[in-house]
Amino acid sequence: MSASNAQSPGLKTYFKTPEGRYKLQYEKTHPSGLLHYSHGKVVTQVTFAQLKDKPVPQPTPASSTLSSTSGVRLAAARLLGGGNGSRALSFVGGNGTSKTVSGNSRIGSLVGHGVSGSTNGPISSNYDGKGTYLIFNVGDTLFVSDFNSQDKDPIKAIHFSNSNPVCHAFDPEAKDGHDLVIGLSSGDVYSVSLRQQLQDLGKKLVGAQHYNKDGTLNNSRCTSIAWVPEGDGLFVVAHADGNLYIYEKNKDGTGDSSFPVIKDPTQYSVAHARSSKSNAISRWHICQGSINNISFSVDGMFLATVGRDGYLRVFDYSKEQLICGGKSYYGALLCCAWSPDSKYILTGGEEDLVQVWSMDDRKVVAWGEGHNSWVSGVAFDPFWSPPSSDNTGEGVMYRFGSVGQDTQLLLWDLVMDEIVVPLRRCPPGGSPTFSGGSPHAIWDNVSPVGTLQAAPSIRDVPKLSPVVAHRVHAEPLSGLIFTHESVLTVCREGHLKIWMRPGHAENQSSSGSETLLGGLKDKPILTNKVGSSSLRQ
Amino acid sequence: MGAAGSKLEKALGDQFPEGERYFGLENFGNTCYCNSVLQALYFCVPFREQLLEYYGNNKTQGDADDNLLTCLAELFSQICSQKKKTGVIAPKRFVQRVKKQNELFRSYMHQDAHEFLNFLLNELVDILEKESNAAKASPETSSPSEKTANGPRSLQPNGVQKEPLVTWVHKNFQGILTNETRCLRCETVTARDETFLDLSLDIEQNSSITSCLRNFSSTETLNAEDKFFCDKCCSLQEAQKRMKIKKPPHILVIHLKRFKYIEQLGRYKKLSYRVVFPLELKLSNTVEDADSEYSLFAVVVHVGSGPNHGHYVSLVKSHNHWLFFDDENVEMIDESAVQTFFGSAQEYSSNTDHGYILFYESLK
Ligand SMILES: [Zn+2]
Repeated sequence: MSASNAQSPGLKTYFKTPEGRYKLQYEKTHPSGLLHYSHGKVVTQVTFAQLKDKPVPQPTPASSTLSSTSGVRLAAARLLGGGNGSRALSFVGGNGTSKTVSGNSRIGSLVGHGVSGSTNGPISSNYDGKGTYLIFNVGDTLFVSDFNSQDKDPIKAIHFSNSNPVCHAFDPEAKDGHDLVIGLSSGDVYSVSLRQQLQDLGKKLVGAQHYNKDGTLNNSRCTSIAWVPEGDGLFVVAHADGNLYIYEKNKDGTGDSSFPVIKDPTQYSVAHARSSKSNAISRWHICQGSINNISFSVDGMFLATVGRDGYLRVFDYSKEQLICGGKSYYGALLCCAWSPDSKYILTGGEEDLVQVWSMDDRKVVAWGEGHNSWVSGVAFDPFWSPPSSDNTGEGVMYRFGSVGQDTQLLLWDLVMDEIVVPLRRCPPGGSPTFSGGSPHAIWDNVSPVGTLQAAPSIRDVPKLSPVVAHRVHAEPLSGLIFTHESVLTVCREGHLKIWMRPGHAENQSSSGSETLLGGLKDKPILTNKVGSSSLRQ
Repeated sequence: MGAAGSKLEKALGDQFPEGERYFGLENFGNTCYCNSVLQALYFCVPFREQLLEYYGNNKTQGDADDNLLTCLAELFSQICSQKKKTGVIAPKRFVQRVKKQNELFRSYMHQDAHEFLNFLLNELVDILEKESNAAKASPETSSPSEKTANGPRSLQPNGVQKEPLVTWVHKNFQGILTNETRCLRCETVTARDETFLDLSLDIEQNSSITSCLRNFSSTETLNAEDKFFCDKCCSLQEAQKRMKIKKPPHILVIHLKRFKYIEQLGRYKKLSYRVVFPLELKLSNTVEDADSEYSLFAVVVHVGSGPNHGHYVSLVKSHNHWLFFDDENVEMIDESAVQTFFGSAQEYSSNTDHGYILFYESLK
C-alpha cells in the first residue's frame, strides 16, 4: 500500500461515507526538488486521459513488453467495467475502435509508430500501463503519470521554456492523433498526441500544433480549455481577459487571425474570423475580467462559463446564444461542472458555497454550505447510483463532490423531491420576502431567455449540508475527478491522491456499516428552509 | 524618485484618474506602520472627502490648536493639492504629532499598524467630540457633528447623562455589535450592544474571511467557571452567547489577529496562515439579513516572519486600478496580484507578505 502519507502527518488515509469507506490507494506527485516558485504561482490542474486504442502489437518479434501490454489492457477493460457508456469520463472499453486509427501526415514521422496501425514500430518501455494517465501541470512543466501504477513519480515530464502550462484537456474521441490540448499562461495554445509524447524520450513537446503563437491573437493568460463534445476537433480556450476562442485542430492557422475590436466590453458578443484561413475561427467576448472556468454539457449542447464578475453564464453552443445565468452570492466564481443528464450545473467560488443551478428553473435551487474557504473544484459523480429503492419515497438522485482551499473534500447528496419540486410549486404568500421583483414572476415563470439573475438572497435558497467532509491534503485543493473506481483529488502544489471507492480498495475491510464522520451525523443531511416548509403547507 | 513617479504615470497613461494623486510617503525610521495606514485611509474616499471638507471649514479659524486631526487633514490636503501627479511627500508634522501624543509610537521600534489605526481613529473621534462640546458651550459656531435619535448607547461609564455623538468618523467606520446571551434556565435573551470601529478576527489555517466572520459569530456556551449572571434568575446560570452585527458599518475594517501570544513561548508569534479574502464580501452574521455587498479597497500588509520586526506596505484600489504603496514607492499591480498576500498554506514557506488589515466599503 502506498497510503503511508508521509508528507502530511495528521491526515487520515480513509474517509467514511454512508455507503462505506473510501481508502487512499495511490499518491502521485512530481520531483520534489522542483523550484516552481520561481516561475510564479501556477495552480496545478489535472486531466484524466485514457488512450482507448492501444497500438496493435507487431506479431513478429514477440517482445515481452508488447505481450504484457495487451494482457494488461484486458485487465484494464475488466477493471473499468468495459464500455459503461459514460462519455464524460471516457470509460470506453479497451477494445480498439477503427476511427481512432488513422494516419496524419501533418504530425510528422514519429506518429506512425503509435497511431497508424500499418506502420507500428517498437514502443518505448516507459509506456506500458493500462492506457490510463493523469496529466498535471506544476510550474513550467507538464507531467504525465500512469494512473494505475503504484509509482508516485510521473512517467513523463514536458518542459515549456517560455511560459507555464496552466490548463489542459484530453479528448478520448479524437479522430486523429491530436487528443491533448494545452493552454499556457502566455496565451499560447498547443495540441498534441498524448501517445506521441509518451513514446518520445525527450523533455519537449513533440509533433505539436501551435495556436495563438506568442499571443498574437490574445496575450492574456489561458484559464480553461475544453474540447467541444462531438465537435470533430474543435476546442475552446478561455482567457483571463474575458474572451474565449474556438479553434479547429486540423486547420492551418496561417490566415489573418484578427478579430474586430470589441465595441462594448460590458456586453456579450461573438465575432467570426474575417479570413476563412484563420484559426481561431471565432471569438466570444463573455465578460469583463477573467473567465475562470468553462464546462460543456455532456451532450455538447451547452457551454457554461464562470468568472471574476461572479456570473455563471450558460450558452447554447451551436446557436452562440446566451440562454441563462446568474450571479454568485458574492465574489468571483472559480469552477463549474454539469450533471451527467445536463440538467444541473454546480458552481463554486469565493463565497465558500457550492451552488446548484437548475436548467429547468434557470436559477439557483440549492446552496451547499460546508467549506471554510473558497470552493475551487466541483463535480457530479457520474457513477453514483442512488441506494436501492427499498425505502420508497425521497430518493437521492445525485451525488456530487467539491474541493476547497480549506484542504477539504466534501461529498453531497441532492434529493430532488425535497428541493426542486417544492420550489416551483411554492404557494403565493407562503414564501418569504424576495429581494427584487415580484415573487410570482420568479417562482411561477422561468426567466426569459438570455437574462442573468441577480444574486439570490440568503433566505431564498434551500441549504444543503455535506454527507462527508474530509481533509485530504495539507495544501489548498484545486480539483477533483470522479472515476469509475475512485475519486481523485489534487492540491494547488501538484500532489494527487486517488481514493478508492468502497468495494474497490485493494485490501478491503468491512465497510458497509460505517457511520458518518463525527460532527456531521447530528446534522440533517438536508436543511431545506424554503422547500420543506412550503411542502408541508 | 522622480523616475519612479514617471514610471507609474507611464503605466497608467491616459487612464490616470482626473484629479487623483499617487504619492509615496517618506519613512522616518520604522514609520512604515504609519505610512501603510495613512495610504489606506487616504484612499478611503468618503473619509478623505469629509476630512478635507472639515479642513476647509476649520482652517480659517487660525492655527490655534495643532492636533492629530488638523495634522492629518493638512497632510491629506497637501497630497491632493500637489501639482505633480506622482511623487513623494514627507509626513513629518503628522508623525511628530503622533509621537508627541503617544509614547507607544515614540521609539524607533517596529510598531503594530492595527494599534496605530485604532489609536488614530479614536483620537480623531475624541477631538471631534471635544470640538462639538465646545461648540455647544458657545452657540455661535456651528457644530461639526450631529446628534442622532437612535444612535448607540454610550458606553462611557461616567454618570453624566450624555447623548452619544455621531461624528463623520463614526459615520464612516462605526458599526454596532449585539451580544446576545440566552440563559439556559429561563431562556431569557439579554442583548447588549457595543460599537466598533473595526473587527478583530481570530484566524485559522487555510480559511477564508467569510469563515472567520462565521466563527466570530458562532455560539459559545458559558458554563463551569464562566457562567452568566441572569438578572431574571438572579443567579449564575449556564448560557449561550453569540455576537452578531446589528448595524454594519459603511467602511468595514477587518483586522486579522496574526500576532498571537503563545503561552508556552512566553511571547508573541506571527501566524502566517493562509486566509483568503474576496474582493467582494457580504456579511451573513447580521441580525437582519443584510445582503449588502462590500468591496475591498485597501489592504495593509505585514511583511516579515515575526511580530517584532518586519515591514508594512499597503495595497490600494483607486479608480479600478490596484496600487502597491511601499513607503516612498508606488507601483501599479494587477488585481490578481492581491492573492499573493493571502498567506502561506505551510508554515515554512518563504512567502512572508500577509494581509493584516482589510478595508471594505459598502456598495450601498
Ligand atoms: Zn435566567
